[in-house]
Amino acid sequence: MRNGLVHKIGVNAALAIASFVSVFPFFWLMVGATNTSAEILRGKTSVGGALSNNFQHLTEQVSLLTLFYNSSKISIIATVLTLIVASLAGYGFEIFKTRWSERVFAALLAMLSIPFAALMIPLFVTMAEVHLINTHAAVILPSIASIFVIFYFRQASKSFPGELRDAARVDGLKEWQIFLHVYVPVMRSTYAAATIIVFMANWNNYLWPLIVLQTNETKTVTLAVASLLTAYTPDYGVVMVATTLATLPTLIIFFALQRQFVQGLLGSVK
Amino acid sequence: MTNLRLNNVRKSFGSLEVVKGVSLVISSKEFVVFVGPSGCGKSTLLRMIAGLEDITSGDLEIGGRRMNDVDPSKRGIAMVFQSYALYPHLTVRENMGFALRFAGVSKDEINRQVDDAAKTLGLGPLMNRLPKELSGGQRQRVAIGRAIVRKPDVFLFDEPLSNLDAELRVHMRIELGRLHKSLATTAIYVTHDQVEAMTLADKIVVLRDGLVAQVGSPLQVYDDPDNTFVAGFIGSPKINFLKGVVESSRKGKLAISLPGYPGVKISILPTETHVATGERIVVGLRPQHFSPTGTIKFNLTAELVEHLGGESFVYGGNGAGELITVAMQDGRNIKSGDKFEIGFDPARVLLFTEAGSRIR
Amino acid sequence: MAKATASRRDTMMGWAFTGPALVLLGLFLLYPIGYSLWMSFQVGKGTNLSFGGLANIWRLTQDSVFQHALLNTFTLLVVQVPIMISLAMLLAVALNDSRLWGRSLFRTAIFLPCVTSLVAYSVLFKSMFALDGVVNSFLEFLHVIEQPIPWLADPFWAKILIILAITWRWTGYNMIFFLAALQNIDPSIYEAARIDGIPRWAQFARITLPALKPVVLFTTVTSTIGTLQLFDEVNNITQGGPSDSTLTLSLYIYNLSFKFMPSFGYAATVSYVIVVLVAVLTFVQFVAARERRRT
Repeated sequence: MRNGLVHKIGVNAALAIASFVSVFPFFWLMVGATNTSAEILRGKTSVGGALSNNFQHLTEQVSLLTLFYNSSKISIIATVLTLIVASLAGYGFEIFKTRWSERVFAALLAMLSIPFAALMIPLFVTMAEVHLINTHAAVILPSIASIFVIFYFRQASKSFPGELRDAARVDGLKEWQIFLHVYVPVMRSTYAAATIIVFMANWNNYLWPLIVLQTNETKTVTLAVASLLTAYTPDYGVVMVATTLATLPTLIIFFALQRQFVQGLLGSVK
Repeated sequence: MTNLRLNNVRKSFGSLEVVKGVSLVISSKEFVVFVGPSGCGKSTLLRMIAGLEDITSGDLEIGGRRMNDVDPSKRGIAMVFQSYALYPHLTVRENMGFALRFAGVSKDEINRQVDDAAKTLGLGPLMNRLPKELSGGQRQRVAIGRAIVRKPDVFLFDEPLSNLDAELRVHMRIELGRLHKSLATTAIYVTHDQVEAMTLADKIVVLRDGLVAQVGSPLQVYDDPDNTFVAGFIGSPKINFLKGVVESSRKGKLAISLPGYPGVKISILPTETHVATGERIVVGLRPQHFSPTGTIKFNLTAELVEHLGGESFVYGGNGAGELITVAMQDGRNIKSGDKFEIGFDPARVLLFTEAGSRIR
Repeated sequence: MAKATASRRDTMMGWAFTGPALVLLGLFLLYPIGYSLWMSFQVGKGTNLSFGGLANIWRLTQDSVFQHALLNTFTLLVVQVPIMISLAMLLAVALNDSRLWGRSLFRTAIFLPCVTSLVAYSVLFKSMFALDGVVNSFLEFLHVIEQPIPWLADPFWAKILIILAITWRWTGYNMIFFLAALQNIDPSIYEAARIDGIPRWAQFARITLPALKPVVLFTTVTSTIGTLQLFDEVNNITQGGPSDSTLTLSLYIYNLSFKFMPSFGYAATVSYVIVVLVAVLTFVQFVAARERRRT
């Protein structure tokens, strides 16, 4: 019994340390936003009085309104389009299986491992040719047909009851009506989970926007944070405020919809 | 009046043929049950009638029209599914009116027809609930209601009671039978449960490996099976099959001995089929047809006894031959190990060739 | 229930539903990957390209920066992925105990890092690991170190910093997959094992571990792909420095294309190195998993 107690205390201590390490940076972020750059670099962990100053410096350097508008616009449009295109495809691959569609699907899965680095140069050149550099379309278009999300919807479609489709066919619905009036409402929670994952991925996207968005008018929040950070002498107080603002939307979504978020992550492997 | 006709209908999935040429005529207002073990093709056949599966070859006619390539919703059928297949996001009312909504029927008309059907089934108080708020039996009733609203020429049922518990199943079975009488519509019902088949059907179609094994009324199929498969599938407990040898065959009169039961001699009056002396045959004895007064006497030792209260099933043998199941109305005093004598009426003996077809 | 056959109508429907996605994938995945292959045989600067045959592959063998980046990527891969996967598995097993106090609190806390963007956590790590920063102060307070560690200025410590950062960001993410797999194990199996008198360690080795094998494969493959593509963190925390000690292949491709005088052809060649590596490593991991299952 004593052995069990020691074991229990050990496990709890280990988990407590892991939790502390995981959460501390968030604390650091919030506190950092209230300190000056020098204080941050000295490791000050108490709340300071520089918040309004930092915020003011930030607004002098960037237009928060523009940044948030750009990030929201890109994330929302990309998420909506991704969900439409990927759920149609996931449904199509699962419901209308043929030998050929299965081959195409297998090929897609193999392409899941193609690194973005291998695509970015030709994509950039192509975007330049069609004059889409510095437009949000250049960010959104390549992200829509996400193989990962297609795969996610296909896995989820396996749980869509075949008899429901049969019933709808007997009731006289056309295929697109079955999709719109039966599949979509029945799979609501799948869409909810996918929405969160896709939205966050778009909101946090960095490399590709960095390449195609080069003007201040088109930049996203994430890009702005990165450029503040990689400046020659970054003002960490300002960077912390910006990072807090950039992370807040995802944090709120996470706490409001934690269950769907986790479900979304797991959906593709189940 | 013929309502539905299948003519040499076949279905293949790739190189696998699951329905191997079924021809069938179903009359108007008839309650037809497709019964058979799993994998016999009964569900596939039903789905082909519904239009949910393509017909590989052969013809399907409903109401005199060839329906092979007609959309499911335009065949004049309605279907009740095993899982009920209620739309989970719609209320009972919306579920029942869904088909009409997509057929472009006006809202008032939909409401009127849905209310009519709801009245028939006593669904009134449930109309605004979602399927997940209903019990199994209620869901079943909504599924039937959804089918009724469409006023079909033919109702199709795909094992509709198999998801219910035993008590509710009996209840719904009786209700379905009543409903069929009041609606007076053709119904095709698929089940693997022989009790459902026997109790509901006007006509039973026994299927085996994609072929019709026998068609007939419930009692025909029970009393007069065409082959060992039908005899074995219908009737519970299962019919006893004993090995037999024809001792003499003169003018259709047979004398049969049972190698497993040396003392037993069976004489059968003239049969239509010619059977040669010395031929091996199969003797079928239904457990319920044993009686003390029967003239074919068996001396058995009870190996296992199941008392069900009303009747008792005794599994007896002689140590050498096949174990024989005997159903007894007054067997409550028999214990395992007891020796007993029981008789069988020769008129109720069913004879089959070794290959399984009936000797009449 | 019979499987639906593909009638002609169904086949057409299938392509109609998958069509939009396939067109987009053709445009933004298939076309670029082919274009990239063509480019990898081109030499020259900017858009002024000419066919160079295998010149780019030859250049790879002569390019010490590339070899450095390749070595860095492999070092990160070999050290970081096993540590993170083991950590994720251990945490998941610890959290799977239903009698554990504060279980959901721990789980949420450990999972929290995955909501941060890669850029945001780069900010955090760069500031926390400053020379006089909070981490060094803490370690000095604990008397673990005497002198502050030059995390950002020393090639060795910079690598450690990147490993710590990635591990912080992704352990909780991977843990979720282990937790899900653990919850799928039928608890009556453990009850049966207890009745059979199987000791705890054997229960872990014989029941838990085999059930987790597919998750180990999944998380290893995805982490490997992720590490081979590592970009955001190194670009924002260390910019690949000091003296290229944290330069990864993806960052090198980016630098070749967009930082210096663009050398698209050669960059495409380097990117194909990643493609080949991902393919080979994924294949090896799948084969290894299958071999182990056989024994």
